[in-house]
Amino acid sequence: MNRVRNFKLILWMITGFAAAAGAARYIFGLGPATNLTDATPWGLWIGFDVMSGVALAAGGFVITASVYIFKLDKFHEITRPAVLTAFLGYIAVAVGLLFDLGLPWNIWHMIIYWNPHSPLFEVGWCVMLYLAVLALEFIPVPLEEFPRLGAIRNFLVKFRLPLVIIGIALSTLHQSSLGSLFLIMPYRVHPLWYTSILPILFFISAIGLGLMMVTFESNFTAWLYKRKPETALLGQLGNAARWVFILYLVVRFGDLAARGQLGLLNGSEWQVKLFWFELLIMAIIPIIMLSIPKVRNSLGGQWTYAIMGVTGVVLNRIDVGGLTHIDRTGSGVYLPMWTEIVISAGVVSLAALVFLFMVERFKIWEKRPADPQAEPQTLPEFTPVFQTWLGDPVIAARTRYSLAFVLATAIGFALVTHDVAKSKGVDPSPVQRSRGSDTLWVDGNTDGFGVAFKHAYHMKILGETSIDTVEGVETVSVDVNTSCALCHHMNLPRDQNSGCYACHADMYSKTDAMKHEWHSSPQGANLACRDCHAKGGPKSADNAKKCDVCHSDLFPSGATIKVEQYEALSYTDAMHTLCVDCHRLKADDVSRPDLAQCAICHSEQRSFVDENTLAGRYQNLVGKSLILP
Amino acid sequence: MEAWLEFGRGPLFRISFTLMVLGSLRIIILQIIGMIEAYNRSADKIVPWGDLWKKTFSWLIPIFNIWRKRPVYSVISVLFHIGLILVPLFLAAHVLLWKNSVGFGWFHISQSLADYLTLLVIITAPLLFLMRVLNKNSRFISRTQDFVIPLLLVIPFITGYICVNSSISATGYQVMMFFHVYVGNLIMIMVPFTKIAHCVLMPFSQFVTGVGWKFPKGAGDKIIATLGYGNKPTWFDNPRIGIVTEAETSQEQEDKK
Repeated sequence: MNRVRNFKLILWMITGFAAAAGAARYIFGLGPATNLTDATPWGLWIGFDVMSGVALAAGGFVITASVYIFKLDKFHEITRPAVLTAFLGYIAVAVGLLFDLGLPWNIWHMIIYWNPHSPLFEVGWCVMLYLAVLALEFIPVPLEEFPRLGAIRNFLVKFRLPLVIIGIALSTLHQSSLGSLFLIMPYRVHPLWYTSILPILFFISAIGLGLMMVTFESNFTAWLYKRKPETALLGQLGNAARWVFILYLVVRFGDLAARGQLGLLNGSEWQVKLFWFELLIMAIIPIIMLSIPKVRNSLGGQWTYAIMGVTGVVLNRIDVGGLTHIDRTGSGVYLPMWTEIVISAGVVSLAALVFLFMVERFKIWEKRPADPQAEPQTLPEFTPVFQTWLGDPVIAARTRYSLAFVLATAIGFALVTHDVAKSKGVDPSPVQRSRGSDTLWVDGNTDGFGVAFKHAYHMKILGETSIDTVEGVETVSVDVNTSCALCHHMNLPRDQNSGCYACHADMYSKTDAMKHEWHSSPQGANLACRDCHAKGGPKSADNAKKCDVCHSDLFPSGATIKVEQYEALSYTDAMHTLCVDCHRLKADDVSRPDLAQCAICHSEQRSFVDENTLAGRYQNLVGKSLILP
Repeated sequence: MEAWLEFGRGPLFRISFTLMVLGSLRIIILQIIGMIEAYNRSADKIVPWGDLWKKTFSWLIPIFNIWRKRPVYSVISVLFHIGLILVPLFLAAHVLLWKNSVGFGWFHISQSLADYLTLLVIITAPLLFLMRVLNKNSRFISRTQDFVIPLLLVIPFITGYICVNSSISATGYQVMMFFHVYVGNLIMIMVPFTKIAHCVLMPFSQFVTGVGWKFPKGAGDKIIATLGYGNKPTWFDNPRIGIVTEAETSQEQEDKK
């Protein structure tokens, strides 16, 4: 039984490798640890882990439906492995999602905060409920081993039929809704794949994939444990799968014809080749093989078409989920980083390990496989590496598996380079000065979305008011000059009323307003360290002269804002702090509660920018982070 | 040389450190699992818990057990361990390395204290080696690694001391640093796989022996039968510890006569 042991050893190594990659993802975050970007936020993890994972687990509902609803009792003996595969598959999807979600601890939000318009909401709820249903369907199997809990088992078995029905309903819903997710991207998904009936195509192919996966899994475990393969039974499954795939082909080509896109197949671009390759290994070749009874009922034939079918449908999910978007995602072509591949593989390996454990421990098959670790006691044998006897087979296996895990994790950690850990930083977005005179057009990054600021009006209402009675007539005069310092709280040296942009020079990040480099360089102020930093202390901001010791004109008299730091706020923060705070105060004075609301300032009609200009404006930002106003 | 140093501080360090931490965790878990299995399998479920806790803690504090046999050796050993544990963990330079790479550091000892402790290790390690070699009984029960490890452990201390305290050429510094880093990594890799593992297993040794040193039901009878002593009495009225030679027994019998 060395075959099982070696296979488990490999699975443990992959899991260990993935543990290191997973730790890197949680320590450094998605940005450095993956190749995902704002342009491609859905990568391998969505295409493989979620979309393919859910589809691979479709065998559960297909087999339970045939056995419990259609009463095809001959398939009864593959029900338990099929349900277990589905159960573990869904757990793997959930675990994989925990790596993929940016804030995985918010996953419970969809339970409380409903967004019934979103297919993702439906998928989330269905997956969650179906996972619970699968757990309830499967739990009676391990409970057989605990006679004390027989009552619970009997209770659950009584509700098996309703559970199966709920399971089928939920599967129907979310297997198709995974396709609905991509209906929102008509310009992104290639037209050979994009269709409004994506949900239907996803559902049909999931049924076919479920049958293929059950075939593959049954044959694989038969090989692993040297059991007699259930060739005849799987042949009958294959016969059913043939009709599913024929239906799939008809619907797929019928849809292409109905949309008038058949002409695309004449093209010579790589997507057309991908389309044919996908359909060949997913449906066409398996249909031909399945139509020949001799091939269908032979072990070799079953291996071939099962692997082809599984690979084909997984490829289809990856195509829809990201591969065919590549042409539309601009400059940066997404290729998964090794951490993404390893984590995906690790989640699958862990699920496989649990599967093997369950198979050995509980009654999943009619005849439980001989526990590979419980061989009859052999004579102690020295391992060549350690020159020791590792103990009886159970202890030896435990020793080896854990060692494989630890070694793989160590190597994985070594591969997480410093480059991965380094942040990629923020793109600078320099600020331009406002234009205008009495009314200023405040639009720091000149993207066309700004605020018309009534400068003269503010000068007037904020200035000191004096009421004089001249020749019996009351006149109100406003000294506009006194209001300047309320906003212009700091001046450039030898300047008056410097503009905001002078210090708050970046739209979104802080600016070094003091410019240390300039002060210390010979080309600038040419100061020595000791000219500012007191002798003996550290050369830090705390141990330096205040700016206004030299620049006596830095702070205008009457300035209400006290500057404590040499770093200036970002332009947006500075504007919002100054304006909104003052508006809040005035809102009470003039009893206008809406004065501090966004639309009071952001009330301008958006200037019209035609598409080409907009594209030109953002060309240098494609593939980078882009913050729209 | 610079590239080799970078490799030793980067990927190789990450491998060694992970192996040390996870490997130590692994042997602890394996040992506890083994202990529980042995306990469940045995017929005798009596565990002297109070005595066990007392023994476990008394062995953790070396003061109680120093004066039993070979007190000089014991004292030297304790001094060696103090330097060995404190310096790598709390040296200011090491803490700074952690702070620069993971973002947090911890308490560190002063450089002069670190120097004294380093000298302590450098002096005591060869003494431990010599006392093991020169004592007949010690030599008899020692394996190769028992001789090698004290000498290996002292290398990072010597090279580190030279790097900090002497003015050597830049090349010399790099060579010293190379040995410091690579031997340090080697030691970290060795932790879970050699006798150095006692740094994590020590707290469990008394405990595991007390709980897990049990035999399945009827094991004693089976052993006696296997050895062919089924008919003979298997206990003595006045058991004597130690190996009794043929000559001694005959001498005893003569005395009785």
